[in-house]
Formats: sequence, C-alpha cells, structure tokens
Amino acid sequence: MNGIIFENVCKSYGETKVVHNLNLTVQEGERLILLGPSGCGKTTTLRMVAGLEKITTGTLRMGGQIMNAVEPGARNIAMVFQNYALYPHMTIWENITFGLVIQKIPKEEIKIRTKKALDILNLSGYEQRKPHELSGGQKQRVALCRSLVKQAPYFLLDEPLSNLDAQLRLQARNELVKIHELYHPTLIYVTHDQIEAMTVGQRIAIINKGLLQQLDTPDMIYQRPANTFVASFIGSPPMNLLEGHMKDGGLWIAGNPIDAPPQWKALLAGHQQLWLGIRPEQCYLSATPLLSGLVESVEYLGSQRCIHIRLHSDGQQLLYMLPADQPIPSGTIGLSFSWQHVNVFDYHEGTNIGNPKILFHTHAC
Amino acid sequence: MRISSNREWHWHLLLLFAVLIQLWPLLFMFSTSFKTMDQIFTSTLNPIPTIFVLDNYFYVLKNLPLTQYILNTLLIASGITVAKIITSILAGFAFVYYEFPHKEKIFNTLLLTFFIPITVVMIPNYLLVSKLGLLNTPWGVMLPQLADGMGIFLMRQSMRNIPKPLLEAGRLENASAWVILTRIILPLIKPAVIAMGIVFFINAWNDYFWPLLILHDKPTYTLPLALQMFISAEGGSEWGIAMAVAMLTCLPPLVLYLACQRFIINTFMQSGVKG
Repeated sequence: MNGIIFENVCKSYGETKVVHNLNLTVQEGERLILLGPSGCGKTTTLRMVAGLEKITTGTLRMGGQIMNAVEPGARNIAMVFQNYALYPHMTIWENITFGLVIQKIPKEEIKIRTKKALDILNLSGYEQRKPHELSGGQKQRVALCRSLVKQAPYFLLDEPLSNLDAQLRLQARNELVKIHELYHPTLIYVTHDQIEAMTVGQRIAIINKGLLQQLDTPDMIYQRPANTFVASFIGSPPMNLLEGHMKDGGLWIAGNPIDAPPQWKALLAGHQQLWLGIRPEQCYLSATPLLSGLVESVEYLGSQRCIHIRLHSDGQQLLYMLPADQPIPSGTIGLSFSWQHVNVFDYHEGTNIGNPKILFHTHAC
Repeated sequence: MRISSNREWHWHLLLLFAVLIQLWPLLFMFSTSFKTMDQIFTSTLNPIPTIFVLDNYFYVLKNLPLTQYILNTLLIASGITVAKIITSILAGFAFVYYEFPHKEKIFNTLLLTFFIPITVVMIPNYLLVSKLGLLNTPWGVMLPQLADGMGIFLMRQSMRNIPKPLLEAGRLENASAWVILTRIILPLIKPAVIAMGIVFFINAWNDYFWPLLILHDKPTYTLPLALQMFISAEGGSEWGIAMAVAMLTCLPPLVLYLACQRFIINTFMQSGVKG
C-alpha cells in the first residue's frame, strides 16, 4: 500500500513552529491537495515527504515504512518544483533521462519511457533544445515529463503552475489529471490557488498557520466548511459570515428575528452567539425577504455581478451574486436564502456547528 | 555607474592615462628587447627602436636552456593550479552543502588568511620544506601552495548562486554528492573555475620570491629566476637580453589572460557584487 501517513508530525525552525501536530492520511493513488495561504506550512509539509526537510517530531510513513530518517533519493519520489529545477546546461533529453541514467536503468528502457512521456506531453522534437530555449509552459511540461519517466509511486508537486498564465494553467491542470490517471501514483499537490485545488484534487487538506483545518472532498469543503477560516478562504467572493444570536428560542441575525426551521432552532439551542454562513450565490432576491439592505456597490465579474449590500438593521456587509444578464438593483433590496445551504459556526471557536439534514465529519487536527 | 555621454570623455581620458602608466613598463620592455646595446643607452626612453634587431632573442634561444626553464615553470605553475582548483572546489562544496561543527568560524579563519602577508609565512614554510628534504625541487615550491583561501571563497560564492532546487532535484534522483558536484554544480560554475584557474596559473608562473628561496641550482630555475640572472651581477648589464627573456616570460600569461578575460572579469564582478 503506497499511501502516506503523517502521525503527529511537527516541524520547527528553532523556536518557530511551522507545522503543528499534523495527522493526515493520503490514500494510495489519491490526488490530495495541500491548500492554504502563503507561509501556512504546506510546502514544508511536502518537503518533509520528499525528505528535503527533517521532521522535528512525529512519524511519517510511506508504503507502511517509517521514512523519517530515509534519504530523499531512497524514497522513490518524483517531484516537480515551483521553478521546475531544470538543469540549464543539459538538453531536454538529458534533463529527462538524468535520474534514469543514475539509477542505471537499461538504455533501451530509458529510450522507450522517455519517448512515450515526450509524446504524452507534446514535447517530441524539443529533445535537443536547452531549457532557456523553451517557453514557461514547455519548461513546466519538461518538469512533468522528468517526473513521469521515473514512474515513481509518489508524485509531489510544489505550486507547479504558479508561473504560467491563466490559459496555460487550464491546459496544464487537465494534463496533470490525465498523467495521474495513466498510472495512479499517490499525488500530493501544493497550491495557494483554490481553483487549482478544486479542479485537480480528489481531496483537499486546508492548512492555516501550520494547522490542518479541514480534510475533505472539494464539494464538501465548499458546501460545508469546517470553520470560519475555511468558509472565508474558499470561494471567490468568500462566504458571507453574519453575526447572530439566539434569543427566547428564536434566531436573530443582524438584529432581526429570522424564521428558522424548527430542526435548526433545535440544533442551535444552547449557542448564545453564532456566525451564520451563506454563500453569495445562494442568496436570491425576494418579496418576503429574510434580510434587507442598501446596495452600496456593484462589481462586474463577467458572467455574474457581485453586489455589495449594507444591511439596514446593524450595518453588516453582505455579498450577493447576480447573473450578469439581470438588471442591476439599486436602493433597498430584500434577500432570502435556502436553509439547506446555510452553515452555522460557533461564535468563539469558529467551528461549524453542523447541519440538521446532512451529517458530516470534519477532520480538524 | 552610468555616466552621461557628454561627460564621458573626461573619464576616458583619465582611464587612458591610468592604462598608459600600467602599460609603459611593458612597452619599454618590448622596445628594449629589439634594440642594440648602443640604442639602449643613447635613446633609452624612445619607445621605437631606430634599428630593429632580433639579436637579443637569437642569443637567448641559442645560449640559454630556455626549454628547461619553460618546462620547470610549466610543471610548477600547472601543479599549483590543478591542486588549488581541486582543493578550492571541494572545500567550497563542503562549506555550501554540508553542515559541520564550527563551519562559520572555520570559514572566517580562512578569510583571515587573505590579510597575512606572504613574507610572514615564508620562514615557517621554508623550514617545513627544508625538513621534508624538498629544497631545490619543484615539489618544495608547490607544497605550501596546494590550497588557496581566495579560491575557496570564490568557489563558495559561485556555488551559493546555484538555485537550491537544482541540487534537491539531484538528491531526489539518488545522485551521490560526487555526481551532484561533477554533473550539476561544476558545469554551472565552469566559467568561474576557468577564471580562477587562469589567475592561479598566472600568479604561479610569475612567482619570484618563493622559488628564489627554494630553488638553488640553475637547472631547477623557473623563468622569473632565469630573468633575474640578467639583471644581477652575474648577468652584468645585458639589458637587451634581459628584456628579451622578460618578454618570453610574460608572454604566456598575457596571452592566457587576453584569451579568457571575459571569464575572469565576470567571475570577480559576480563574487564582488552578489557575494
């Protein structure tokens, strides 16, 4: 079983703790994304898997073996670096075959593997060029090709698309998924781009300040964020978080009583204060609104418009996504939302209180 | 520094003057080597010979064991250059890529050696070479010069400029330290190694004092020592011949420098600016 298991893994640089007590299991053949803001410890986590950073405490298992003290070269890992790390003095062919030659793989085998990989990544004809003669996208494909020929059971990618333009990114994301489906290595992909995470990942681990916030499928992370950090980090624009409280058995949001279904009231009983989370695209204009406010500004986003609304009752801001072909509202508008899309978070801890209809688990560290 | 074009000629004039001061001895040597003895004393400062003669060169080639001197110099200069290149690369590699106790202190001590005048270490080195029985041999000249603080510093600076992921990619391919050094690092710092080697070679070729202390018999002499014979009591006042030997002595390093000056300038600029 070529899975990767982190057991209470910590990483510190002197007094500074970068990764806190990480417990995470990456299944064999899975595409797992490590997602988080800059400096959250995701790259450090990936480098610990590669053996390029030493683990301070805890255990890392790969394929059932403890790998803490195993040298990077003995871990049988293929890795794509952010800046591709192509050897500038070698041709593309030499770059791709460098590792295979070192491993003393027979020449014929090297030739077969390399030609196949070059074909898959549309790099045939570029074998004798040097990296500086290639475009950013081609370099990125060479880096992928170098990892592909290794046929390693573990595939690590450190923000491999961050140097590409938007169009190339889209293409490269598809290529990446195709490559993974060729031989299903256990893949860990580090990114700070949530679109990349959503499109490439089968599961996403969200990290903030060295702590695992949530480990789940892209859909669950979007629909049921484990806490307010995940709720506001995932989604563009982010989830609306409105301050509310329970009074006399009823729910009050933004100073107004809200007619919540009885099962919600039962769930929220005992929580004096809370955050109500609603995605901007899950609000809709209503003649019998739950919330009303004044339109402050409108942002044009292509297929949609993002309407910034200031709620009448207590001045909290609410975002609402409106299809671009609909007339732009002005003045006071009333909004409603469907309770099945609502998330409620603990006011102090920020953790998701749950949902009366859907039972879900969070994997907070 | 960028200088506006209308003010540039001032700087050019200043630089030209500095270059002339530097080149004058060479020009003087060059012209004197083609003069007769009469001309040398009658028109000493005239850089253009009135009668152009090659007699001095013919005399040197006919009467001096020049091939022997060239071979001696070549052996010593090459030996020192190769040894210094190897030790500088290996030490630079260790300083950049390995962690060991007191690394910074050791490196700082190494930098300190830049400031110790060669005359201070001459006597202990002489005693060491003498005790080892290496006086009057090329090995005695080479032994104290097998490593060089400046070389280690230059290699360390060049290696530090290599992006770390390149080496990490090598480590992930299970490449040994030797493979990483020879297949990844050295090709990337080749210009710096060539430049450093040329500087080492030129310095060793031109070295006068240390070979003078160690080498006593004429057949073991290097070219600078052979040159000394003509400007000392032994050679009398054979200035034309002395200048011809001097020309032949400085020709190889000069050609080497002119051929590779791009590498040398780039290397020293880089270590100064980025280091």
